[in-house]
Amino acid sequence: MEPSETKRSRPRQGLRQKRVNVGPAERKASMAGGAALALTGLRCVGKRNYLPGLAMLVAGGLFLYRGKTGHCDLYEAAGVDTMHTHNSGLRIEKVVTIGLAPQQVYQFWRNLENLSKFMKHLESVQLTGERTSHWKAVGPGGLHAEWDAEMMEDTPGQQISWHSVGSADVPNKGTVEFRQAPGTRGTEVKVAIDYYPPGGAAGRAAAKMAHGINSQQLEEDLKRLKQILEIGEEITSDRTKT
Amino acid sequence: MKAVCWHGKHDVRVDTVPDPQVCNSGDAIVKVSLTCICGSDLHLYNGLVPAMKKGDILGHEFVGEIAEVGSGVTRYRVGDRVIVPFPICCGACWYCKHELWALCDNTNPNSWMMEKLYGDTGAGIFGYSHLYGGYSGGQAEYVRVPFADVGLEKIPDGIPDEQMVLLTDVFPTGYQAAYYCDINPGDTVAVWGCGPVGLFAMKSALLLGAERVIGIDRFPERLEMAHVQCRAEVLNYEEVNVAQELQNMTGGRGPDSCIDAVGTGIEGAYDSVKQALRLESDRCSALRQLIKACRKGGTVSVPGVYSGFVDKMPMGALFAKGLTLKTGQTHVHKYLPHLVKLVQDQQIDPAFIITHRMALSDAPHGYRIFRDKQDSCIKIVMKPQGA
Repeated sequence: MEPSETKRSRPRQGLRQKRVNVGPAERKASMAGGAALALTGLRCVGKRNYLPGLAMLVAGGLFLYRGKTGHCDLYEAAGVDTMHTHNSGLRIEKVVTIGLAPQQVYQFWRNLENLSKFMKHLESVQLTGERTSHWKAVGPGGLHAEWDAEMMEDTPGQQISWHSVGSADVPNKGTVEFRQAPGTRGTEVKVAIDYYPPGGAAGRAAAKMAHGINSQQLEEDLKRLKQILEIGEEITSDRTKT
Repeated sequence: MKAVCWHGKHDVRVDTVPDPQVCNSGDAIVKVSLTCICGSDLHLYNGLVPAMKKGDILGHEFVGEIAEVGSGVTRYRVGDRVIVPFPICCGACWYCKHELWALCDNTNPNSWMMEKLYGDTGAGIFGYSHLYGGYSGGQAEYVRVPFADVGLEKIPDGIPDEQMVLLTDVFPTGYQAAYYCDINPGDTVAVWGCGPVGLFAMKSALLLGAERVIGIDRFPERLEMAHVQCRAEVLNYEEVNVAQELQNMTGGRGPDSCIDAVGTGIEGAYDSVKQALRLESDRCSALRQLIKACRKGGTVSVPGVYSGFVDKMPMGALFAKGLTLKTGQTHVHKYLPHLVKLVQDQQIDPAFIITHRMALSDAPHGYRIFRDKQDSCIKIVMKPQGA
């Protein structure tokens, strides 16, 4: 007897449940396409076209699995998640521990002009008012982008959030949280940036491709921030000044 | 300046390259007076490390004189003679502050490479591939040394370079291996591999109070050095059954601690075949042997370098016998002041290990004979021209 089984909303999936990272519309498409592919594959096998038939069966099965479970290994490997992005934006999140008090890290970040010191894609951030600023960036492929931003939330020593305003080339918003780490470990800095790439579906597809790179870039950015705050400058392994 | 550059598998050349410059405020430029070839340089020489680029300067064991300092350096002046530890450490991160120097958070600019492989990164290392940061190494006339105030150790007057250059890596590495064994009076320590690290592990074990040390190798000259210099009882693993001999020598208990100073190098048919077939990246027949040999409740200490995966790791034996496994790159900074003092007090002369002295320009020859263990080669030191 397994009385608890009936209460489960999902079928048993083994001990490690895979994370859902495929959005609902995409899951439906995956189910339909996967079923069609698998059926065609079955027909091929019936006609003794074994190799292409089996290949289609396997591919169809994978799409069905993706649709049924909402988990895609390929997306996971690429860092893509179409379930947890809102309004078709893309989210990148990274976290780093820095050996300073939350208030100190907050203060450095609160002066937004400091951001271009460690965020490689930012050329500059200029303060234009008490809560407003102008940002200049270089995107993938050397594309320039500029926008105005407004600070939405500012909780000293804890959190800052901002969003782009007006006609930004790439509308975006971001939040950074500063949390006291245990013991003498300093501050856990957690950054989440959402951006909304232009150009409709094609633009979004291209941005998804670049997403892995951007996510890596944010990680490198945070390491630079850590170096600047812990050591006082960004380090290099170069032998000569370049 | 002249420098020993990597050009490919079994291809190192002495090239003329641009001199280093102060790039960060904490940098010093060190004029190298003596440098060594390390056993781990052979991994690069043999092309086992993929993250190498043509023209990379090799070498992480070197001493010299300060030639220039950056604006932020306060502890050293031009002309000071210094020891340069092989890991590069910032001195400011949590790991450095907890004496876990070789795990420094901030000095590997290519940390993403190692994170992909291992989940996190350690300190950058001089001349040891882009995986370890891509820093230019010490087999050169000049080296850019970051974090001079943190890393460097002054050489006391009257102590020769030949003694001090061994404190950059091999002596501290052997010392840490023995230190990890938590040695008590009456202990027997067995050391697999009688190369420089193994020899220093034996010396250190004795300094730390071990009663007996046992050295295991197959090269007669290394076993001889272990016997003569380190008072070791020695076993040639090609001639005797090591497991059985160790049992006989310790009344059936096994050595209290076992040190793997071989790493991924030792021959074994099973692993050689699997490695050739790319089914296993590291060979570990020594490690298997020493886990099995070690006394119940003892320590297995691993200064030998591993970089990937091993097969048939006897986890059951490790568990059943309640062994402690200690491993990792050496936190050189932690041991340096003490080791310098041991040399100053003449409790040890680390230079006993040096078998070959040559000019930096002879490096290609040096690498060859060291790889082939020709001419009883155990440790080579090289002098840059004009040093």
